[in-house]
Amino acid sequence: MEMQQFHYDNKIVTKFIYATIIFGVVGMLVGLILAFMFLFPNLTDGISWLSFGRLRPLHTNAVIFAFVGNAMFAGVYYSLQRLLKTRMASDLLSNINFWGWQLIIVAAAITLPLGITTSKEYAELEWPIDIAIALIWVVFGVNMIWTILKRRQRHLYVAVWFYIATFVTVAVLHIFNSLELPVSALKSYSVYAGVQDALVQWWYGHNAVAFFLTTPFLGLMYYFVPKAANRPVYSYRLSIVHFWSLIFIYIWAGPHHLLYTALPEWAQNLGVAFSVMLLMPSWGGMINGLLTLRGAWDKVRVDPVLKFLVVAITGYGMATFEGPTLSLKNVNAIAHFTDWIIAHVHVGALAWNGFMAFGIIYYLIPRLFKTKLYSLGLANLHFWLGTLGIIIYALPMYVAGFTQASMWKQFNPDGSLTYGNFLETVTEIIPMYWMRAIGGTLYIVGMLILVYNVIATVRSGSKVQDELAEAPALERVTKRRTANEGWHTWLERRPVQLTLLATVAILIGGIIQIVPTIMVKSNIPTIASVKPYTPLELEGRDIYIREGCVGCHSQMIRPFRSEVERYGEYSKAGEYVYDHPFLWGSKRTGPDLHRVGGKYSDNWHFNHMYDPQSTSSGSIMPRYPWLIKNELDKSQTEAKMKAMVSLGVPYSEEDIANAKAHMLEQGNMIEENLYTDPDFVKAYEADKKYALENGEAFIEMKNREIVAIIAYLQRLGTDIHVETAQN
Amino acid sequence: MEHKTCFHCGLDASTSEITFDEKSFCCNGCKTVYEIFTVNDLSCYYDLQQAPGATPKEIAGKYNFLDNPKIVEQLLEFNDDKTQIVTLYIPHIHCSSCIWILENLNKLNPEISDSTVNFGKKTVRVTYNSENILLKDLVTLLNSIGYEPFISLDDYSIGKKEINRSIIYKLGVAGFAFGNVMFLSFPEYFEVGEFWLEQYKHLFRWLMFFFSLPVVFYSAQDYFISAFKGLRSKILNIDVPIALGIIVLFTRSSAEIILNIGSGFFDSLTGLIFFLLLGKFFQQKTYSYLSFERDYKSYFPIGITKINEEKEESIQVYDIQKGDRLLIRNEELIPVDCILIKGKARIDYSFVTGESKTVSKQSGDKLFAGGKQLEGSIEVDVLKTVEQSYLTQLWSNDIFKKDKALAFTNITNSISKNFTIAVLSIAFLATAYWMFVDSNKALNVFTSVLIIACPCAIALAAPFTFGNILRILGKKKFYLKNASVIEQLSKINTIIFDKTGTITTNKETTINYEGLQLSQEEEILLKSTLRGSNHPLSRSLYDILNEHEILTLNDYKEHLGKGIEANYNNQNIKVGAASFVGHSMDTATLNTCVHISANNQYKGKFTFYNKYRKGLSKLFNRLKKDYDLVILSGDNEGEKDNLTKLLPTKTKLLFNQKPEDKLEYIKYHQTEGANVLMIGDGLNDAGALAQSNVGIAISENVNVFSPACDAILDASKFNQLHHYINISKSAIKIIKWSFLLSLIYNMIGLYFAVTGQLAPVIAAILMPLSSISIVVFTTIATNLLGRKID
Amino acid sequence: MSVIYILLAISIVVAIGFFIAFIMAVKSGQYDDSYTPSVRMLFEDELIKENSKKSILTKKE
Repeated sequence: MEMQQFHYDNKIVTKFIYATIIFGVVGMLVGLILAFMFLFPNLTDGISWLSFGRLRPLHTNAVIFAFVGNAMFAGVYYSLQRLLKTRMASDLLSNINFWGWQLIIVAAAITLPLGITTSKEYAELEWPIDIAIALIWVVFGVNMIWTILKRRQRHLYVAVWFYIATFVTVAVLHIFNSLELPVSALKSYSVYAGVQDALVQWWYGHNAVAFFLTTPFLGLMYYFVPKAANRPVYSYRLSIVHFWSLIFIYIWAGPHHLLYTALPEWAQNLGVAFSVMLLMPSWGGMINGLLTLRGAWDKVRVDPVLKFLVVAITGYGMATFEGPTLSLKNVNAIAHFTDWIIAHVHVGALAWNGFMAFGIIYYLIPRLFKTKLYSLGLANLHFWLGTLGIIIYALPMYVAGFTQASMWKQFNPDGSLTYGNFLETVTEIIPMYWMRAIGGTLYIVGMLILVYNVIATVRSGSKVQDELAEAPALERVTKRRTANEGWHTWLERRPVQLTLLATVAILIGGIIQIVPTIMVKSNIPTIASVKPYTPLELEGRDIYIREGCVGCHSQMIRPFRSEVERYGEYSKAGEYVYDHPFLWGSKRTGPDLHRVGGKYSDNWHFNHMYDPQSTSSGSIMPRYPWLIKNELDKSQTEAKMKAMVSLGVPYSEEDIANAKAHMLEQGNMIEENLYTDPDFVKAYEADKKYALENGEAFIEMKNREIVAIIAYLQRLGTDIHVETAQN
Repeated sequence: MEHKTCFHCGLDASTSEITFDEKSFCCNGCKTVYEIFTVNDLSCYYDLQQAPGATPKEIAGKYNFLDNPKIVEQLLEFNDDKTQIVTLYIPHIHCSSCIWILENLNKLNPEISDSTVNFGKKTVRVTYNSENILLKDLVTLLNSIGYEPFISLDDYSIGKKEINRSIIYKLGVAGFAFGNVMFLSFPEYFEVGEFWLEQYKHLFRWLMFFFSLPVVFYSAQDYFISAFKGLRSKILNIDVPIALGIIVLFTRSSAEIILNIGSGFFDSLTGLIFFLLLGKFFQQKTYSYLSFERDYKSYFPIGITKINEEKEESIQVYDIQKGDRLLIRNEELIPVDCILIKGKARIDYSFVTGESKTVSKQSGDKLFAGGKQLEGSIEVDVLKTVEQSYLTQLWSNDIFKKDKALAFTNITNSISKNFTIAVLSIAFLATAYWMFVDSNKALNVFTSVLIIACPCAIALAAPFTFGNILRILGKKKFYLKNASVIEQLSKINTIIFDKTGTITTNKETTINYEGLQLSQEEEILLKSTLRGSNHPLSRSLYDILNEHEILTLNDYKEHLGKGIEANYNNQNIKVGAASFVGHSMDTATLNTCVHISANNQYKGKFTFYNKYRKGLSKLFNRLKKDYDLVILSGDNEGEKDNLTKLLPTKTKLLFNQKPEDKLEYIKYHQTEGANVLMIGDGLNDAGALAQSNVGIAISENVNVFSPACDAILDASKFNQLHHYINISKSAIKIIKWSFLLSLIYNMIGLYFAVTGQLAPVIAAILMPLSSISIVVFTTIATNLLGRKID
Repeated sequence: MSVIYILLAISIVVAIGFFIAFIMAVKSGQYDDSYTPSVRMLFEDELIKENSKKSILTKKE
């Protein structure tokens, strides 16, 4: 067969690199702003769409899906073509993948600050965007598998396997975690409730980390480390074992995010067991990566690309050692909800993903633009700033984590909590937050240096052209050949087709499995006294979701003496049966709220929302003035209730019919309560008078959002008391 | 003159004057290859690796047999009307440059559509369009760039070979099932009687059951088979208790979930089989580029040129008939016993005897199969077909038909016998006891004992130890055929050496002169005379004489098989056989010597001695303490005095041993109870190597030549032999220790079993724990062992 | 907790899917040679690689 000439699509790679850099800067800047909000709570005073609760998901999404996501695509599109000796199957699909992905990111950047969110971590985006993600992801998958099918290289290099795994698993995870029932174009409820929702969410949450942030980058490691060092991977055999063992174990490790929660014990322990086992394959990969550079350390000293890669791999090693450690129950008891977790994820993100991305960028830019890097010095500067940044970020967060944990758990001889006031535990670690902010700044400065260096390089370089290459085609195989030769090309294709079939099978099988769950009224043994939320509380809950309160406040009291002492009776699975979605949270910047109901007066909540520092001095919670001004949108209440009904929440017909009336009624009660505070009366009446005089429309307190949120907060965790009273 | 190395092959290029674009080459061959590469812009070949190339050989006519379609068809892996695929073994493959150039063949010839290198096997698999290029062209192309393939009778019908991957499948199935079953079995260990667990455990259990099915009935089948075979031949091999354990594990577990009385031992079951297979897999250290099965086939040509009525045609070696007239070209191997008819023959029998010195033959002389013609081409008449030839009929001896590994019971099986008996008796005793105390516990106890006693760890000890030792020795250039060789090696008490090529090197010889001192002129004359002859003896003699200006002789005569004669001015010199130089009273020495006479006056003789390997006598002195040492030589007694001087006195020396004699000698001593280690190199040792308990083939170049054997030893490591034997001994010790270790685990387990309180979780902990600790122990121990030598 | 069924189903189906892929890969000889591919991937097959090569070299020094 004759030689075939073809061009490697470099343009698409370049696009993805640009996107990576741009969104990298954005995501990190948002992160930095958030870091400073810990120090200046009212940094963006009164601007609802810049409030902490709304920016936090923007930060996580921007970094994970925009920065890391684009870096992944760039690396995959570059390496895949060369490993398979063929251009991407379809430029159209490549571009759809690129532009579609960027659109999704923009959509996220708009919706999240507007408070349009599902509140499930790393899956905050609302259902229309979820669908878009699924579609674009499939486009990516089809393009990749098609390319694999028309490859000119028989052997599938281990990296390609990692890419395939990434596609299949992420697709499955995303689809099953995002099963939600739309109420309107921009509002939906998770089909799962409470414990189940939590389980699915963290099964997703963990595996998202596994298969979006790890497997693709391991693939990239197996391509770019040997390339950059120009020596074969230490042990190819090991890399194959690494892949298959990782694939068979990773999927199980989810539940360790829910230790000591209302999740059944054995399910928790299962998560622990497999998380611990994960250490082996993870370190297998790390060691293989590092040993590849044995004897090439002289290169590492001079080549910034290798420097970045080395630190990245080391970071991966640390994170994957820390992960299993954190999943041990007794460690987790300390670390969970604290800043330790923040440190953990940032070691992963900044070191592993970030530095891999930087290494790849510094490797690709000169090649794509047929020139040499503008400045090695700047690249090295970036490396050192970044490394320093990571250290200054991570260490204080570890300290903060330990401090929080120990202060939360300390008792006086008399059996009372040493730090009964949660605020003490917050103010204690403010210095740590300062250092974190500094570390973050360093990291971003490094990033900006990269931007400059890249721009300068691009300027000096020639225009990106698709590279010409040639290779003979894999000739088709006749019946007779398959009869007597060892290689079966047609069989070769099978694994690829199988990944497709597997996905389809999973989807169908999964849907069938899922129907009962949705139909079954509630498959958790319901506690008699636990009742659905009233319409107003329901609306209040949606505001709670909108403002991203879950980012700082958990709703899960673990069965520890310290927590029961501080927050009240520990949480029971049965209490969450009507929580679509669950709001357990994963971080306690503020106190847990599961038993906050009835703890404070309505006025206290009112004032606290208006100016947290007034009620609790030193609080780092931002003000929520707009809650107090805005009118509560009741237009969808019935729709929401109907949706809940179809998810198994027992609202009766007339419940829904009388929703409006009932809301007014409950609103009135709260308004009356608020009237007990003379200051409130003075201010409120003043507003009313002013509005009348200037002929402005005046929104009565009972119709404002604050009322709804107060109603919800006062309801939280109160059902159980009734029960304990009964028996 | 400054030292230059060849840009292509790295050899010394100081003397050669060949340079091409500022690069120096050792020979035109190398230069040509370089040109080929630069023309086809493949010069990146030299960027990947410094001077990676080899000098192309002269192969005119050597591959004519590839014109014969019958022969070609046998070599092809696949062949349809257009496309042909062939896998060629290329010894020179050694670096990334090799991979690169061989996978870019289509840049050299567009008719080649695909070429894939297997570095481990040193093969390249080429797909080409057979309409426009023939196999012969391909081979010529490869040779022209210094990658001459090695084609032998062995490659006959290579295409039909199938790679056996069943062990990987079995391992894969077991590993996969093990992972999932573990996942499903854990919940019940963590918590009992939790609401949700009660709901799901049945599902979990049944899933475990289904996962374990393929493991038991597919992955584990070998153990059942081997156990069955063992029992049939009245041997309690290690697989008997294993198979027993597996069966009991499976039946009891199934029973438990069917009767809903427990979760069963599926995790232990799948884990057990997984670990066992892992050991098996690990032990299979194969040197894919070495062959231990080589017989004459590996060296004999596939095709040969037959002459009938002045017409040449190439035929398969197997088609050679008695009475055929064959044409043997320069550098070709003689495949059958025959009579020289036409041409001067200089035959190199080193393949057969390891003897590097060549013998000259005149027409009418008998030539034996296995010899290599070195001087022009000759015509011969066939006396015997391949199978009946002197050398090859050695292989009809039935020693080549039986498999040594089966012949002896290995260490594991020998202890498993007692082990099994012990276990069974314990099982029955315990059961009997419980019959009286608490009869409904009896069955439980019985099965528990068999489960816990399943000798997983014991079965693992040997594979992992041997597997590791194999790797360690491999790094030290001592390549073993399989694990059982180590065990055999540790048992030997007699070591037998072949002489030529084994304790002597094939490369150099030492030459002594005895007689009257040669005058300056005579020496000059001698040197100049020798220069004319290209007889190997003349050459090696020429090399040792010190430099002199070269005279142009008035007259030079070469008397075939006698010697050479030359005149300069009135000086006359004769070099050659005693009779030729007119030396009557020849002291009947058996060593090869060259006699000199000047002006019909006898001067003296140069005697050629074998050069012995470095550290030979030291090695023998080390070995003599623990072993009987014997030397079996095919040659005459010429070296006897030398050897007696060199070697410890108790060393037996036997000469003039035919291949069969060697074989018989060993057989005899074995009946006397000797465990024989035979060390040889030539094909004539093959019988002895096969007959001995351990046959080691010494080889100067491991991937080209070595007869069938149990192990191949790189010649450079010859003086390390005693180390290797000691390692194998310590390996056995290690295994015995790990047996002890695993027995301890079994004891602990048995306690739970006998007292009838074996919970699945205990088995689930004990089994992997014991297995893993054994693996760790053996690995560490063997690596320490490896440290000790070198 | 019937969600367990779903997660179990998915996990196992995914695992089995990959397992079949594994078997197929082995069957098709993907893993017969576990060294050469790691070297092969190092070779640049771009035709006009001079300039790109230079850029690497100059970068190294």
